[in-house]
Amino acid sequence: MIWLITSALLFATGAYGALTRRTAILVFLSIELMLNAANLSLISFAKLTGSLDAQVVTLFVIAIAAAEVAVGLGLIVAIFRRRETTSVDDLRGLRG
Amino acid sequence: MQTTILLPLIIGLPFLGFVILGLFGRRIGEPASGWLASLLVLGSFLLGVNLLAGGGAKWAVADWLPGIPFSLLLDNLSGLMVMIVAGIGFLIHVYAIGYMHGDAGFSRFFSYFNFFIAAMLVLVLADSFPVMFIGWEGVGLASYLLIGFWYTDRVNTDSARKAFIVNRIGDLGFLLGMGLLWAAFGTLSISGLREKIEASTLIFQAIPLAAALLFIGAIGKSAQVPLMVWLPDAMAGPTPVSALIHAATMVTAGVYLLARASFLYVGVPDVSFWVTMVGMVTAIYGALCAFGQTDIKRIVAYSTLSQLGFMFVAAGVGAYWVAIFHVMTHAFFKALLFMSSGSVIHALGGEQDVRKMGGMWKYLPQTRWHGLIGALALGGLPLLSGFWSKDAILASSFEYSPLLWFIMLAVAFLTALYSMRWFVLVFLGEYRGKEHPHESPAVMTWPNHVLSIGALLAGFVGLPYVIQEKNVLEPWLNAAIRPPEAEHLAAGTEWILILASALVSLGGLYYGFRFFQQRVLPKWFTNFQTASLHSFYADNFYNTYIVNPLKAFADFLFGADNGLLRGFGGLGGLVGGIGGWLARLETGYLRFYVAGLLIAVVLLVGWGVLR
Amino acid sequence: MAVNFWDILAAVLLVGTGIMVVRLQNAVHAAIALIANFLVIAAVYVGLEARFVAMTQIIVYGGAIVVLFLFVIMLLSAAKANVGEDLLPGLQIPALISALGLAGVLIYALTRFQGPANPPALNGGLAQALGPLLYSPERWMYALLVVGFLLLVATVAAVVLVEPERLTRATEHPAHPAKGGEPSPKDEKEVVRR
Repeated sequence: MIWLITSALLFATGAYGALTRRTAILVFLSIELMLNAANLSLISFAKLTGSLDAQVVTLFVIAIAAAEVAVGLGLIVAIFRRRETTSVDDLRGLRG
Repeated sequence: MQTTILLPLIIGLPFLGFVILGLFGRRIGEPASGWLASLLVLGSFLLGVNLLAGGGAKWAVADWLPGIPFSLLLDNLSGLMVMIVAGIGFLIHVYAIGYMHGDAGFSRFFSYFNFFIAAMLVLVLADSFPVMFIGWEGVGLASYLLIGFWYTDRVNTDSARKAFIVNRIGDLGFLLGMGLLWAAFGTLSISGLREKIEASTLIFQAIPLAAALLFIGAIGKSAQVPLMVWLPDAMAGPTPVSALIHAATMVTAGVYLLARASFLYVGVPDVSFWVTMVGMVTAIYGALCAFGQTDIKRIVAYSTLSQLGFMFVAAGVGAYWVAIFHVMTHAFFKALLFMSSGSVIHALGGEQDVRKMGGMWKYLPQTRWHGLIGALALGGLPLLSGFWSKDAILASSFEYSPLLWFIMLAVAFLTALYSMRWFVLVFLGEYRGKEHPHESPAVMTWPNHVLSIGALLAGFVGLPYVIQEKNVLEPWLNAAIRPPEAEHLAAGTEWILILASALVSLGGLYYGFRFFQQRVLPKWFTNFQTASLHSFYADNFYNTYIVNPLKAFADFLFGADNGLLRGFGGLGGLVGGIGGWLARLETGYLRFYVAGLLIAVVLLVGWGVLR
Repeated sequence: MAVNFWDILAAVLLVGTGIMVVRLQNAVHAAIALIANFLVIAAVYVGLEARFVAMTQIIVYGGAIVVLFLFVIMLLSAAKANVGEDLLPGLQIPALISALGLAGVLIYALTRFQGPANPPALNGGLAQALGPLLYSPERWMYALLVVGFLLLVATVAAVVLVEPERLTRATEHPAHPAKGGEPSPKDEKEVVRR
């Protein structure tokens, strides 16, 4: 039970980071933190319910996180090449 | 009657030509593309003759549309039409190789031409009204494309659109008639309809209206009064187009439709009466208009109008085989007339005004004979093809009503007169132009030789019964048309009719020959000529009483539309305002969006767990 | 469930390193804090009978992903966390409030979870136990294939995205010219042809 609470706290911390960080890389770092919080809750549930399925799902989350990091960091590098910045506030092309 | 895949192949060959020339025509170049097109048409002609000799054929795709098969039928009627379309079409294709020589759109011309042949063959081979309608619209499209072939000229494209739009009126009639038949009988197969109608002793309420609506379609396609205005303007296309589409084949589609659907008309004398009337009025109108024209092709065009009127009279009085007989002979001599006109135009470097012609007899040693034979056949010189078919029409109209016979006889007299006017103005007298004339190449004269033979001899397949007890054409065609039994006229009457029509046409030809050689024409004639030149102001009449009111109405509706939409403008403004206000939420800040997302998650999860 | 000292320590470490990740002003420090966080989580996984996942966590997250992060931080010289000016300074307080709110609802939701009274043992969550699940068509095999394919696509996408010329020239948008001047029309044509 303590791990579920911890994962909730970690998740909120990550969300706070995603909101307040202005560097794209650090926003991304915060999102990784949130992913891990989710993983932690999955593993806790596996323990609590005695089912290995949640652990398999965790493996998938890790694999997909790897893919996501590859694309996400690629995007950051690409944006940096064009705009010479990593600040998310500078990317306002979708302003209404 | 065999079922064979070769039947659609008749259509497929020219269509293949259309595809090949349309895609690769430029690469094939001149004159190979013309020969390819011609040979494909010849191929479908030979295939058609072969199948016809084998006793006809049919072919169908069972479930083309739900309940409607895609069925084709080659019987004697459609077989004759196939021979006319593909046979004369082949000759005109060959002629066009010479005529279109050096034109930038040479291969485009032949791809359209092949497309026309394919569509026309669909039309005549169709055994179901929707299939026929495909061909019907296809030939309309081909006609549009070819009238406006030289599209850089405004007049040509306007003429093309005029032809297309006027034809739409007729097509509406065709569509409505088709819908009515479907509603009443649940089938649109022509042979199926025929069986249902002939097997039943009931009188179907729908038939008169359906027949009348189909007749409106025929009026549009065959340029009968009151939808005749498009045909003279259609002469804006190249001359082979006029010869093939606007004389020999497409414009006779209306007559063919009447003959094909004759089982609808035989039971409804009222509609047939109107067919006769329309034909008669058109015959008179076309003949009168032909006198005033100064354009060599427009003279022939109005004569076509008049001859189509003859065919409709024949169809109206119930002599369907005679109508088709005249279609056939007319196809020969009218194609010949057009193509000798084309040769003259070619010889004079594009000059079309008869006032700048004359004296061609001296310059064109071959074309002069073509022109003479064409004019005499049109005028109805005894023993030539036009005489026999016109005589057959006169005889059957006499059976219907002697008054009708008399009127048609008068029109035949006019026909002889204006055909001589055409010949005299073009070939006799002094040459009034400047260009040095030269005879056409062999590729253009040889098709005319063949057509001349046809114009001379084609009438002998349909001799009157007093000369030949059973002529070739009548029983052969009637095997497909299957009209009700008709009595022959008494032999004495028949002879008198033949003599009368022979005398009238001889007199007309001779009088026209003398009259139009006069240096100064009488005052009454020149007055008449002016009115005739403007087609008795039919276009002006239509513009004043139909086109302009419609335009004004359209303008009115357009204005009303604007006013109405402005009324709803408030609604649009409201939506625009809301949108603009909402758009301010789109700040462009990524973190702003994430904050929105996060708050939404908190609220939703909170609502979910606290609920 | 008994709560012992080590559990409390690990939880505190996790939250502490988490806060470090989101608050440290040097990006490299933040990334290292994230490594620490991941390692603690791996330890927790071992305690929760998920040893195979724990190993994967260390290798993939701690070994590969964060190293990748560090690499990019170094590549872009982006160690300074706060670049440019804060265009949304008013967001700090709402962010804190909504993060606390999120923590609140999540804790409330998660603590209401009731598992079975005596859950079966997980055999330590070793590969022998996970393998049959992962590779059995009735369970997760197809998902595994899809994830594998996704990884392939992501690899290709990453390469395409970062390939220098295609990115900077062919996708040039007139409204956002790249620094260093417009490419000449001739260049643009050449690149598009590629």
